[in-house]
Amino acid sequence: MNWVTACKLDDIEQEGAIRFDHGSRTYAIYRAPDDSVWCTAGLCTHEAIHLSEGLVMDFEVECPKHSGAFDYRTGEALRLPACENLRTYPVEIVEGEVRVAL
Amino acid sequence: MDDLKFGTRNKRGDWTPHATVQPAPIWQMPPQLKAVLHWLPHYFLPWNVIFAASAVAYWAWVIPPVEVLRSIQIGWVLWLYAVNAVCVFLFYGAFELHLYVLRRQGSRFKYNAKFPSEQKSKAFWFESQVIDSMLRSFLSGVTIWTGLEALMLWAYANGYAPWLSFADNPWTLALVALAVPIIHEVHFFLVHRLIHTPFLYKWVHSVHHNSVNPSPWSSLAMHPVEHLLYFGTAFYHLILPSNPIIMIYQMNFAGFGAIPGHVGFDKIEVGDDRLVDSHAYAHYLHHKYFEVNYGDALIPLDKWFGTWHDGSPEGEARMQARYRKRKEKLAARKAQLDAKGATE
Repeated sequence: MNWVTACKLDDIEQEGAIRFDHGSRTYAIYRAPDDSVWCTAGLCTHEAIHLSEGLVMDFEVECPKHSGAFDYRTGEALRLPACENLRTYPVEIVEGEVRVAL
Repeated sequence: MDDLKFGTRNKRGDWTPHATVQPAPIWQMPPQLKAVLHWLPHYFLPWNVIFAASAVAYWAWVIPPVEVLRSIQIGWVLWLYAVNAVCVFLFYGAFELHLYVLRRQGSRFKYNAKFPSEQKSKAFWFESQVIDSMLRSFLSGVTIWTGLEALMLWAYANGYAPWLSFADNPWTLALVALAVPIIHEVHFFLVHRLIHTPFLYKWVHSVHHNSVNPSPWSSLAMHPVEHLLYFGTAFYHLILPSNPIIMIYQMNFAGFGAIPGHVGFDKIEVGDDRLVDSHAYAHYLHHKYFEVNYGDALIPLDKWFGTWHDGSPEGEARMQARYRKRKEKLAARKAQLDAKGATE
């Protein structure tokens, strides 16, 4: 696994998400209400919309375009029109920095 | 006006009503006479009376004499287009101006806190929902509406459609006029369900669903095929014992009546202390969740066909159960294809 530093933990609001681009790919990194941090593929599996711009509530992110929803911990699609799950990536926090295994 | 007395707002600012959507009480069993009597004025006021009056006004001041209607001529058809276009511009524009340009009630009672003008999107022509919707409304919507209306008037003038006079058949025509919203609702449910089938959704109806956060101009933002199907509601009057005024009422009901469902606000504030219900919530939920509420609440067709979402947690749970089944089906199909691929 290739661990990459994505951002500082403080860059992400609680119940919030930020976009992280690396190479030619884009990811979304979430900070849950319990302060745990998660990472998924950055684009909705329905249409290529950045999920980091969506609404994060509890452990769900809602796509800002068509309101498809995902559990960002597992990547599971929860609501139409998204039917395909998101890919997820391991995350660790090291000295206040968020590192993602890509 | 404090909208939080009537609903809740999430952290994004989206407002959700406390009250769930209820189908018209005429369907309640055992019959609830009091509820029906309370609901009855809403069957007429304010929208249906406005649309019916607009049809009478069209007949009095816009539609040319029958002798002219006997042949399709560019002059009167263009005149009809111009009147329809001006009326749409004024009617839709009034809502847009009041609620979305001047934002006279801010985001009070607004389902989606964001205003479409603040959200540029490549899904729309010129990346603007409002410009895209207006262009689609005038280029295709009003054109197809006018074309079908002209065709129907021509059919009446030449005796191809049953034309009853109000003097000789007042009761029959009163019944047909009363049935106009019912015809609209059944027709809308059927064509709407049809264009949600995968092929037609992809190529036709997805245009309308680009407006996830609908606003007044979204009402007629459709693909031309959808306009044709939607305004095809006029064709029932080729077989019904009717009258051209009622046919125009049917078309105006479709043309102007699309507004309440797309206005984006649950209630419109009138003055300091009066609220007018938009009855938009059922259709807003359709725009948000796609596979619920193909019809509206006048006839509980969605309840009968299992796609009703009234905004309650139970409605949400039913929708999620359908979704899980759909996902299971998709996963099974994918596994089948993978297995097939592995053996080849």
